[in-house]
Amino acid sequence: MQVKYKNARLSKSKVTATQDEEKLLSISRSAQCGRLGHPSIQWGPRIISYASFPKLDLTLPHLEFLSILNLGEIVSSSLCAATNLTTPSRLDLPSGFKPPQVFKNTNLVRNTNLEKSYVRETINVVVENVDNQPQNEYYVPFPAEVFDRIAGFEVRDKKAPNKGRFHVDATEAVPTSGNQYFVIHLPEPLEPKSQITLRISYQVLSALSPLPATITQDDKQYLTYSFSAFMPSAYVTDTQKTKLKFPSAIVSDYTTTDGLKSGSDPERMGATYTYGPYDTAKVAPGTEHPITVRYEFTKPVITVNLLERDLEVSHWGGNLATEERYWLRNNASQLANHFSRVKWTYTNFQKAPTSAVRELTYPLVPGSVDPYFIDDIGNVSTSRYRPSVGKKAGHLELKPRYPVFGGWNYSFRIGWNNELSSFLRRAAGVNSDSHILKVPFLEGPKMAEGVQYERVVVRVILPEGAHNVRFETVEGINSNGLPGANSIYARLNSMKTYMDTLGRTTLTLEVDSLTDEARDAMMVVTYDHSMMDALRKPFTIFAGLLTLFIAAWGIGKIDVSIKKR
Amino acid sequence: MSLNEVWEAASATPFVPLISKDSQFTVGFNLLLIALITATLFGLNRSFLGIASLGVPAALAFGFGAVFMICAAGVYV
Repeated sequence: MQVKYKNARLSKSKVTATQDEEKLLSISRSAQCGRLGHPSIQWGPRIISYASFPKLDLTLPHLEFLSILNLGEIVSSSLCAATNLTTPSRLDLPSGFKPPQVFKNTNLVRNTNLEKSYVRETINVVVENVDNQPQNEYYVPFPAEVFDRIAGFEVRDKKAPNKGRFHVDATEAVPTSGNQYFVIHLPEPLEPKSQITLRISYQVLSALSPLPATITQDDKQYLTYSFSAFMPSAYVTDTQKTKLKFPSAIVSDYTTTDGLKSGSDPERMGATYTYGPYDTAKVAPGTEHPITVRYEFTKPVITVNLLERDLEVSHWGGNLATEERYWLRNNASQLANHFSRVKWTYTNFQKAPTSAVRELTYPLVPGSVDPYFIDDIGNVSTSRYRPSVGKKAGHLELKPRYPVFGGWNYSFRIGWNNELSSFLRRAAGVNSDSHILKVPFLEGPKMAEGVQYERVVVRVILPEGAHNVRFETVEGINSNGLPGANSIYARLNSMKTYMDTLGRTTLTLEVDSLTDEARDAMMVVTYDHSMMDALRKPFTIFAGLLTLFIAAWGIGKIDVSIKKR
Repeated sequence: MSLNEVWEAASATPFVPLISKDSQFTVGFNLLLIALITATLFGLNRSFLGIASLGVPAALAFGFGAVFMICAAGVYV
């Protein structure tokens, strides 16, 4: 089966302009009121208040297309359901904007983990309000070219992580400074002279570059990482330090600093290097002191350009079918010479480390059956499935058709089935039509070197007729690796496939920049699905066949004999 | 109430399909067989009474049988 690369940047023409929004509303109102061909749809009181809509999630061309096709019911059911669906938006800042200096970082510790093929950072910062008014907006700046590569940005109160993540907004770039900001909204305004300890965690994609950029097939690979010894903060920081954790103690090059602190800088302890602590009370915010480190990382840098993940719910079949389509690239050092099959066999025999993707290990939840692994050519027989035993996870061991070296691509699809009863429940209470689905947002390969995703599109394909769809991601005490709900682009549409008349309600969730830290992050989707919705398929076939019988009887009654009348 | 709490509250009511996966083929096959037989009988004597007594049961059996058979074949609709 051929896998075609779809345009990843679809639906980017979101409706944001005022006149477009008005047009959109008029179309959707027409659809909701049944003027587009379905008079039975009512304009319910819950959805009539557009003031409660932060942003509509449907794109204008999408709605116009549906209205042309006279699919008012689908549009209206989508909008009826769109009560908690989101369109990420960014705040516009005026030119020359600088965050007001109302806070001071008393102490800042940045932990940078380089053990995986992307950068993981956790910043613990003690923030003090130095203004004479309570303040609740804390700005975190990033250069505009880095901002879109930040994944899973999350902020919590370090002393009370169980209170959940703070609401975070993103801004557009400020042209004069070239910075983009995350605006952290503290749940309660911080009183003057009060302090709060924030724990800011995120990952940075594509921040590591191989040096040298080309190596021979059996060479070791080295990655470089550049950063500033002074944390790029919007506020004055009294003291700060940066701890770097490398995958091994083999760090071939690193910058040493002069005059920033007494004693050697960095301090080394095994695979951990510490820059600082620095006294930066008199250093202006935004001052940089570049540091570069280079370390051994003879592992692949697995980057998924696009992951499309489908979760298909079947009430009739009692099945949850999962299919994932990957467009994968290895961002490791490229081969200096031609690929040698002999060398590769030798490396494999020795189990020597390599920067090529040799195998992908994919744990599957217990009860997963019927796995398949297909690429552009067809079934890939070099895979192995170790089924789950009891509550232990099954393992899908995928060997690509060829080793994926630096700069090489590989696209494939995998899929499997699960019993639906493990993932779907009927809501307790009087409304038995309501169903609750709890499924992983992201699964993906589990690799020691990590996997980074540039774009993830998750489609939850619900049964035909499902309506009143809502979703949320499940939060725990620790980060689930996902961005905040306001950074997930969610929309509803319909998809027609076997035995469908209206099409199945599909919840599509899109996230840019994600890492395998979000692996096993769960989401909950609720929807209503009545008995009449369920009986639509057999009754359609029933009606078709009965019509045939009646036609056969009726045609049989016609007298076509040649006789005298 | 978060949706996750709704999920937890519904722990006593897991979704149970009408026909389990193991029985889909048997049920689907038998319903299609009934549909074939009743449709054939209707075809032999096409009358208005035949539509009610044979045509409707045949159409019903075919409708449900087709759904279960396509599920049994691995296309979960």
